[in-house]
Amino acid sequence: MATTTGNDTSKVPNAFKRKGIRVFGLGKAEFIKYFFGGNASLAIVVLILICVFLMIEAAGFLPGNRRGLEDYRKSGQEFVDFIRDEINQHTATTTKLSIAYYAEVNETSRHEDQLVGAFIQVRNAVQNDSGKVYEGLEQVIDRVDELKDDLEEAREEAAEAAEAASANAPADPNAVAANSPAAPESDEIKELERKIAAAEASVKEERKHYLTVAEALLKEESTWDLEQAGLHLGEEEKGKISEAVLFYLPDTEGDHPYISELKKISSDKKKVAAEEHADFKAVVDEFRAAVQPMRDFVSPLKDKAEENRALATSFLTAGARREALLASAKRVEDEAKKQDILAQAEEVNIKEPPYDKLTEIFYASIPQYHELSPAFLAASEAAMAKVPEKVSTDSARENLGMAKSEFKDLKKIGKKNDKRVDNWRHDRPVSMIGAFFSFLTGKDWVTNSSWHDSYGLLPLFTGSLLISLIALIVAIPFAVGAAVYVNQVAPFKEQSFIKPTIEFIEAIPSIVLGFFGILVLGTALRELSQVPYLSWVPGFPMSERLNILTAGLLLAFMAVPTIFTLAEDALNNVPATFTENSLALGASKIQTVFRVVVPTAVSGIMAAVLLGFGRVIGETMVVLLVAGNKIQIPDFSKGIGVVTEPAHTMTGIIAQELGEVSQGTIHWQALFMVGMVLFAISLIINFSAQQVLRRFQKI
Amino acid sequence: MSAISAGTEKTVGSQKTEKPEGAKKSLVIETNEVSFAYDGKKDVLKKISMQIFAQEVTAFIGPSGCGKSTLLRNFNRMNDLIPTAKITNGHISILGSDIFDPMVDVIELRKKVGMVFQKYNPFPKSIYENVAYGLRIAGENRKSVIDQAVEESLQLSGLWEEVKDRLDASGMGLSGGQQQRLCIARTIAVRPEIILMDEPCSALDPISTAKVEDLITQLKEKFTIVIVTHNMQQATRVSDRTAFFYLGSLIEMDDTTKLFTNPTQKETEDYISGRFG
Repeated sequence: MATTTGNDTSKVPNAFKRKGIRVFGLGKAEFIKYFFGGNASLAIVVLILICVFLMIEAAGFLPGNRRGLEDYRKSGQEFVDFIRDEINQHTATTTKLSIAYYAEVNETSRHEDQLVGAFIQVRNAVQNDSGKVYEGLEQVIDRVDELKDDLEEAREEAAEAAEAASANAPADPNAVAANSPAAPESDEIKELERKIAAAEASVKEERKHYLTVAEALLKEESTWDLEQAGLHLGEEEKGKISEAVLFYLPDTEGDHPYISELKKISSDKKKVAAEEHADFKAVVDEFRAAVQPMRDFVSPLKDKAEENRALATSFLTAGARREALLASAKRVEDEAKKQDILAQAEEVNIKEPPYDKLTEIFYASIPQYHELSPAFLAASEAAMAKVPEKVSTDSARENLGMAKSEFKDLKKIGKKNDKRVDNWRHDRPVSMIGAFFSFLTGKDWVTNSSWHDSYGLLPLFTGSLLISLIALIVAIPFAVGAAVYVNQVAPFKEQSFIKPTIEFIEAIPSIVLGFFGILVLGTALRELSQVPYLSWVPGFPMSERLNILTAGLLLAFMAVPTIFTLAEDALNNVPATFTENSLALGASKIQTVFRVVVPTAVSGIMAAVLLGFGRVIGETMVVLLVAGNKIQIPDFSKGIGVVTEPAHTMTGIIAQELGEVSQGTIHWQALFMVGMVLFAISLIINFSAQQVLRRFQKI
Repeated sequence: MSAISAGTEKTVGSQKTEKPEGAKKSLVIETNEVSFAYDGKKDVLKKISMQIFAQEVTAFIGPSGCGKSTLLRNFNRMNDLIPTAKITNGHISILGSDIFDPMVDVIELRKKVGMVFQKYNPFPKSIYENVAYGLRIAGENRKSVIDQAVEESLQLSGLWEEVKDRLDASGMGLSGGQQQRLCIARTIAVRPEIILMDEPCSALDPISTAKVEDLITQLKEKFTIVIVTHNMQQATRVSDRTAFFYLGSLIEMDDTTKLFTNPTQKETEDYISGRFG
């Protein structure tokens, strides 16, 4: 206590002395303070732990990836892939040419093929829509067949027995009369025959029943819903198809004359068309054949590279295997066995494979490559030049265009390979930076491959980015528009209805939204895309139900509440006096909103959009369910239509693969690298949102 | 609406600036037994009748909650922002037109009747854009016209010399007094007939207040000014006529000198002598 304040006061207790119990010199107030402070810092500690954990798990990736890339190079796989690039590109071109050719040939018989298609569709529709009737008919018919088989068997048995009896007869004529085996058997046969007759009667009944149902169905408009096939049938064709549909019953054999006629016309026309386009076919074949020498050339190289890689991989694990053997030898007591295991351990080859020697074959093949490749390219070029310029169908035209651009790429690869092959060295080291960039810019994410695993972020990153962009493009106008309306225009009653409703969306579990996306949105979008007069929309008709667009639209729905709430806050923060001042100057409500309120809130709205972006790029469940999960960079050659391609995402791949890979493998580490990238993206987004908001707060 | 938008030619400047008791001044605002309720039921203004003349500064004084700001905000119908508020009795005519006529376009009215608020409040835009705002929303796009109007308005408000080198700087970077004068410049750029000022100096320091008061005295040559103030000294300094409000009623309205030296009503006397309020 205070002792130096004066003579008198030292005896009197300090009037301002602190009251209450103190532990370690800390009072109640301090404990409360530290408790809350501790809670706050706990969040920060956890964040740091997450960072550290991510880094530790991902740490091994770079060296591991470098090792993998080096092995890929040392074993000659890289060299082989140079050449395989060329071959694959050639195959892609061939495919397009081939599609174009068949489009031409099939064009002539399109009408017939469509009619047959329509028939099949209608028949399936009728059979499905008849409920259990068609199935019931099938069952009774099967039953008749079964009974008939039984009868057959019974008769055979009876015949055998009779034969046996007649064989025995001369020896013992009395036995026949005594045993008389034919009599009970004929009873059985009679019984079967009776059953068959009954079953056949019910078949008749069922058939009649089915035909009535089918006829009724054929009269219904919905059965003829062929819009998707882009077909409009005349009354006559409808009649014929109806007839054919009624003709087909489960026990019908052969085709209805109308259908078989259509099929025949179709195949005849195709034959004629094939003859007509024989030149085209020859060109396609010629083009296809050009690659054969390259295939023959690369095949042994590929085998050798694979062999080398196996050696490299086994060398990679040799040390560990040997250690394991030695350790187990220690535990074994039986001397003979111990020696055996030690011998095995000795045998483990821990020497680095002689890559110089192993890769000689590749260096030796370079001159041959320089001979073959130009010849191959020239032959392809020659074939390409002969491709007919004029084709009659859109599909053929389109595919020929694509074939041409693919071929251009092929020539580019050829040119690149010319140098790449010469400059290739199996022992050129891969730097850490190189390993890192091969992750960031790698175009393939291939795992569990028998050839070479590569971990390239690009397909996942592109998928995530495209989906998020679509989500934002769709969500921003809706969310910001709704925020402006609710904050500035809507009467109080509407406000108090719209705001909670939009904010409720945030509470919907994303898995439920995912269901909705697959079952409702995906199907609806796809059906919409197949409406013939919407075919001008890029990417329509969509070939996949689950794709970037569907996922993007769903995520847009999820981003709306985030953006809406924050944008509405930003608008709310605009002082009411701004509105008053503007109105007093003779501005209309709309002018005030768009010239004063929204510009004032713009940085807050931008921050809202950024956080919305963060929300969608981190979303996992919906994209995993709806994006289509195809690990490939989407085909940007379609232009905007690229959004109808399926894709995989960074979040999706982690959710999908992490449970299945064994801990500590390079695949595992690669997934953590993806996680780190996501983490970094979120950090950047949040940081920029804060920066933008700081600008906002200055106002 | 027609009278407000077109019927009144600018009489600014042509008027003589004599003492009120001299030649007859033209009538600008007239209220006739006006009652007003924020909730549509309980009157906060009670049957107020008054006349405000051109080229004069009219001050509204009275204790807090006496309805002076409410009346002022009715002159440009700012009370429209409150959905339930309405005039329950009488009518207000400005420049000869009934402003609560259903045919009146509020926007046209507000172009003629500008307003300066208690809290200076430039938009988060440049100084130039702040002043140009009223013209731009009125559809004026010619740069020369806007340039000229901005310079004139800033000169009239005495701000030109201080800001002419930084017209592109944010209006929010100025000092408080400058911001309030910028708001006045913004208001006069639209060339209103009447400027309503709702306690324009209450958030300013004495030096800035003096500047704004000077400005008000200068502006009355061109505009009719109605000013609400809590500060009786300010009323005596700047106004020609003063109206004293108490509990929603207009107690007394007269020439400022007369009202302050020789009030006729007891409440007025009590208030100006500081016995309440």
